Amino acid sequence: MKRRLLLLAPIAVAAWLLPYGLGGYTMHVVDVAVIFAILAIGLGLTMGVAGQINLAQVAFFGVGAYTVAILTTRTGLSFWPAAVLAILAAVAAGLLVGIPALRMQSHYLGIVTLGLALGFINWVTNAGIAGRAEGISNIPVPPLFGIDLSSGYLFYYLELVVFALVLAFALFVTRSPLGRRMRAMRDDGLAAGALGAEIPLLRMTAFVLSGLYGGVAGLLYAGLIQFVAPETFSISNMFLLLAMVIIGGRASVIGCVIGALGLAFVREALLDVSAYAQLGYGIVVVLVVVFFPQGLAGLPAQVFRRKARERPRLAPFVPYDEAPPTPARTALEIDQVTKRFKGLVALQDVSLSVPVREIRGIVGPNGSGKTTLFNVISGFYTPTAGRVRLDGNAVTGLTPYRLSLEGIARTFQNLRLFEDLTVRDNVLVALDRTRTSWIWRYLALPWAVAGYDRSLRGRAEEVLQRFGLSDFADAIPRLLPYGIQRRVEIARAMASSPSLLLLDEPAAGLNGDEVGRLAEIVRSIRDSGVTVVVIEHNMGLVMSLCDHITVLSGGRVIADGSPDEVAVDPRVVEAYLGDSMTAPTEREAEHDHADR
Amino acid sequence: MQVFLQTLIGGITFGAVYALVAMGFSIVYRTMGLVNFAHGSVVMIGAYAASTFYMASRVPFAVAIVVAIVVTGLIGLIIERFLRPLENKDFTLMLIGTIGFGAVLEALAILIWGATGRAVPNPVATEPLDLGGVRIPTYSLLVIGVAALATGMLAWFLRRTKLGAAMQAVAMDHEAATACGIHVGRSNAMAFGIGACLAAVAGSLIGPMLYVNPTMGGTLGIKGFAAAMLGGFGSMPGAIVGGLAFGLLDAFAAGNFQGYSDLVTFVVFALAVMIRPTGIFGETTVNRA
Repeated sequence: MKRRLLLLAPIAVAAWLLPYGLGGYTMHVVDVAVIFAILAIGLGLTMGVAGQINLAQVAFFGVGAYTVAILTTRTGLSFWPAAVLAILAAVAAGLLVGIPALRMQSHYLGIVTLGLALGFINWVTNAGIAGRAEGISNIPVPPLFGIDLSSGYLFYYLELVVFALVLAFALFVTRSPLGRRMRAMRDDGLAAGALGAEIPLLRMTAFVLSGLYGGVAGLLYAGLIQFVAPETFSISNMFLLLAMVIIGGRASVIGCVIGALGLAFVREALLDVSAYAQLGYGIVVVLVVVFFPQGLAGLPAQVFRRKARERPRLAPFVPYDEAPPTPARTALEIDQVTKRFKGLVALQDVSLSVPVREIRGIVGPNGSGKTTLFNVISGFYTPTAGRVRLDGNAVTGLTPYRLSLEGIARTFQNLRLFEDLTVRDNVLVALDRTRTSWIWRYLALPWAVAGYDRSLRGRAEEVLQRFGLSDFADAIPRLLPYGIQRRVEIARAMASSPSLLLLDEPAAGLNGDEVGRLAEIVRSIRDSGVTVVVIEHNMGLVMSLCDHITVLSGGRVIADGSPDEVAVDPRVVEAYLGDSMTAPTEREAEHDHADR
Repeated sequence: MQVFLQTLIGGITFGAVYALVAMGFSIVYRTMGLVNFAHGSVVMIGAYAASTFYMASRVPFAVAIVVAIVVTGLIGLIIERFLRPLENKDFTLMLIGTIGFGAVLEALAILIWGATGRAVPNPVATEPLDLGGVRIPTYSLLVIGVAALATGMLAWFLRRTKLGAAMQAVAMDHEAATACGIHVGRSNAMAFGIGACLAAVAGSLIGPMLYVNPTMGGTLGIKGFAAAMLGGFGSMPGAIVGGLAFGLLDAFAAGNFQGYSDLVTFVVFALAVMIRPTGIFGETTVNRA
């Protein structure tokens, strides 16, 4: 941290001294470049960090600039009150454009946001109040304690202060629990929801941030140029902005800034041959996308692959403290649950109840509805009929994030780790138990957020230590061996301090030793007071681990009992082996042969 | 009533072109899961290629269309080859990569044909047909006819030929298709080529209806894309219905809101896809959540 600050100092001094070495026009170019950098940070936050394809960023920029222009020239409001309203208007635009993100993602969202941006351009080119194609000129110079901001040199210092503030805020947000949740949502929205991240509100937050940065950039632009016209907010400038963010590195705030400043100067240098410039940055975008998906920001890591000093090792699991016995009660009760997908009945009147501190096994042939049952319990599916109760409270139809906060944690059959987050960040996402409505603190009480983050980090080290993952804390999950990824997923689920843990085929792909260690971990989790429900195909593990087994077949419960009872139940044998009683056994076949 | 019918005809004519653009998007998307944001620019190149050839050499319009098809088909193959490493992988990157290609094509058009646009003469300069007071331009009939012909040929290709069947197989499951001995890369290249050819037909037809200029690809592409979404992404009947629906929406918005037609069109579109993100004939999973 201190080294970072030391590095920052010369950059800050250079930025402060920069105007002394520049001519008037170059100063103006720098002023515009800084505005683009602010816009690029906003786009990077929504697109790179939160994964929301937002092609309306120039429209937010336009809303900010036009609000200042219209309010100051048409209503005679002075600059700064108009500027505050401009930011509010841009944030409101962000909220409006963000609404479609609740229903659709990726290219669908891209086209809708682009369409709405076109709609905005269409409005300003036609509306009399926005000055039509000629735009609005004579926007007043922002007054500031008698400093003459009509000078590009002095305006630069205003920009520099604003820029430092918004850059610091962006860095703070990306490194805080909120930013982690956004990145988790980008990598795997489903798993993020199951760990307590309120996806709809997070998506809206991303668009609010994008609107905020657009608005700030817009009001600075209006104050600097004192003139707004539709072509500044055109689609081709949107693509330029996109190129800045992609070339710089969309997931890195600093990368976005570097990309924006760099491309702004290149564009200025090639202004006379703008078609060649466009050709050039188009080609660079294609090359970056194919060869350096992380952009400039990812280059250092791609070039200097860090060599591991020593081979990291998976340390043994440190068992949980045994919790004192609790009075017997039902932890999870499923009552007559039915789930239909159009014609297909995946679950039919399934009922089961799991007492607290039990390891319940759910077995059954493929397609018998086991994972569907988990999806109903953890809120991914709403059951067609029936009720789910957790510790006696009805939780049917609650969203995954609510259920996570209620104490349900789960793992997934095909591992859903956040692929671009480190193992530590994966755990940190789960440790964060706040509601998203907590986010007002990011603006009002940033130090409280920083303190909370520190406490989370302390607890993350504990979790990693307990699961023997300390050596892998900074590793990217997809580069780890499969067995370790499985363990990371259990550690992540346990980091959310659940009362009910759902494990979906935790032993799939593990070798014999690893299965043994898994059983040890699951028993310790049970002894710490957590109820565990496990879907598993490894019968040896199920028989030795589970206290009680429920067998599903064709979406119905066909047997329920202790491992020994279930193993000899003829219906279970039939479901697994087919109608084996009618087929001749090996002995009978031999007999037949001998008779002949 | 007369105004209504007149708008209807205009809407259907543009709708036929949007349907061609949307089919180009859809065939690429369903085969290789790639959302080609450069498609609009390919349409623009098609419009330029056809009009240049038609105006310079005075050959029949049909020949000019064929030349445009060859030009854009080649461009389609080049784009596909470049982006092949990203296919079926990262959606966002692919999307941005094609946006980059769009910028490249636009810049090339400016370098070759200049930044100002050109007007293309109507290839069938006859009086409009008068049908009970409603005037139907003969060129509208030509557009609708060519679009219908192209659609019919595509349907025939996909249903009745072995190559078409192979492409359908890749669309359903590219891994299983590989296992059956289908060359997925070649099939993808073919889809991209066909998409680009459809773009050329759309571009050639729209040339005489609009002013041909390097930035026309942006709006046309977005509208064609929106039409594909409205109909249901990846569905061929959806592309046709969506295209016509979008053409009508556009025409009636222009008739009733004049200058604000784009604003109205895109707001209505945003509302429509929010109510039904899968479109009319849509795939069942939009965002696998």
